[in-house]
Amino acid sequence: MRRIALALAIASAALFTPPPAQGEIAVQTYALPTGGGYPHDVAVGADGIVWYTAQRTGQLGRLDPSTGKVELVSLGSGAAPHGVIVGPDGAPWVTEGGTNAIVRVDPQSRAVKRWPLPEARGYVNLNTLTFDRRGRVWFTGQNGVYGRLDPKTGAMQVWDAPRGRGPYGITTTPDGAVYYASLAGSYIARIDVESGAATVIEPPTKNQGARRVWSDSKGCIWVSEWNAGNVSRYDAAAGTWKTWKLPGEHPRTYAVYVDDKDIVWLSDWGANAVVRFDPAAEKFAAFPSDRDGANVRQLLGRPGEVWAPESGADRLVVYRTK
Amino acid sequence: MTRRWAALPVVLATSFAALWAARADPRRGERVFQRCYACHSVVVGEDKLPGPNLRGVIGRRAGTLPGFRFTPAMIGAGARGLVWTRSTLDEFLVDPQGVVVGTEMSMPGLPSADDRRDVIDFLESAAAGSAPPLDPR
Repeated sequence: MRRIALALAIASAALFTPPPAQGEIAVQTYALPTGGGYPHDVAVGADGIVWYTAQRTGQLGRLDPSTGKVELVSLGSGAAPHGVIVGPDGAPWVTEGGTNAIVRVDPQSRAVKRWPLPEARGYVNLNTLTFDRRGRVWFTGQNGVYGRLDPKTGAMQVWDAPRGRGPYGITTTPDGAVYYASLAGSYIARIDVESGAATVIEPPTKNQGARRVWSDSKGCIWVSEWNAGNVSRYDAAAGTWKTWKLPGEHPRTYAVYVDDKDIVWLSDWGANAVVRFDPAAEKFAAFPSDRDGANVRQLLGRPGEVWAPESGADRLVVYRTK
Repeated sequence: MTRRWAALPVVLATSFAALWAARADPRRGERVFQRCYACHSVVVGEDKLPGPNLRGVIGRRAGTLPGFRFTPAMIGAGARGLVWTRSTLDEFLVDPQGVVVGTEMSMPGLPSADDRRDVIDFLESAAAGSAPPLDPR
């Protein structure tokens, strides 16, 4: 029997606000339906469909931005999904933290396929995932692991992370290198995608709380530093770092994403804002939310769009850049 | 009541206490605590995590652990009288965002009453210094 926890489909007409222009950026919001909010992470596919993890209700949400319609796919009893990305197959892939499994949802049938972590590993608090260039899924578990799943064979390996608890955001560079950030460990690591070995790379700021990472087009790794309120860049070729403090009195940098023009997007919980950083000009521009405690936990986009899930406001926000 | 039945309340109470003691196994709570482990510790000195150290949390006013940067929501809850007891922790763990609106804790809660009791047992035993060693697996 097809194991799909299907979906109540809830249309959300008239949930948009008109896109106010802010410079060359147009901002548009999509309210999410009751019982399908609290979006933790978001991903947009090449087709423009947006997927988000409704962590508190154990669902994966699907937003069609052209209509505002939201559909909710149940991920099963006990589910509490954290991360979502769109894989090379066009499907949403999820780190299903509630039931300790990697999950794929078929974008057409909505069928849910699960790859549980090995029982012996116990609960790892799955966080985020990325694909390498060989179609394998790499993931982090915040209780102190990272791992690899080959969806073709189902083979899964899990490794203990250096310094234990903390592995959080993970990303793949254009040349196929995989890096993750350790929030509790305050480091980033490069994973050898063949051996699985992780090499710790220390940011220059102590106890900075490296939460998420993203690569620019040159393979430089951008790091959101939660404790320090910084954004930093690691140039892997040169082995050098550069660090910038976000504006404001008490910035706390949660999410980072680098768009197709190598503009860096961040969320700052201190300012309750999404922040755009132009590395060439070294200039920040803040987009404060109009809702208190918006709590943007992640950012992701496609050319011309950056999506921000406002977990505290039950909304998805898109910043259109062209 | 005959002599035969007179002892029944004592027997029942003893049995209940034995059952409760059997349930109150901090090792079960330690397993449940793995849901919290990424952000919280009960080990003295582990205070650089995303969430506050929970050693000795029972009896503490919400949002008052020195050295931890709490949200205004949690500080406000403490100022309004929220003190962590077995009962208030249980309510919080059912629906963290509902009990303290604006908390940054993203964990969606523990729907199982057994899990909540076990993890609270674990927190109590940690404060007493009798918690089992933590094993993130």
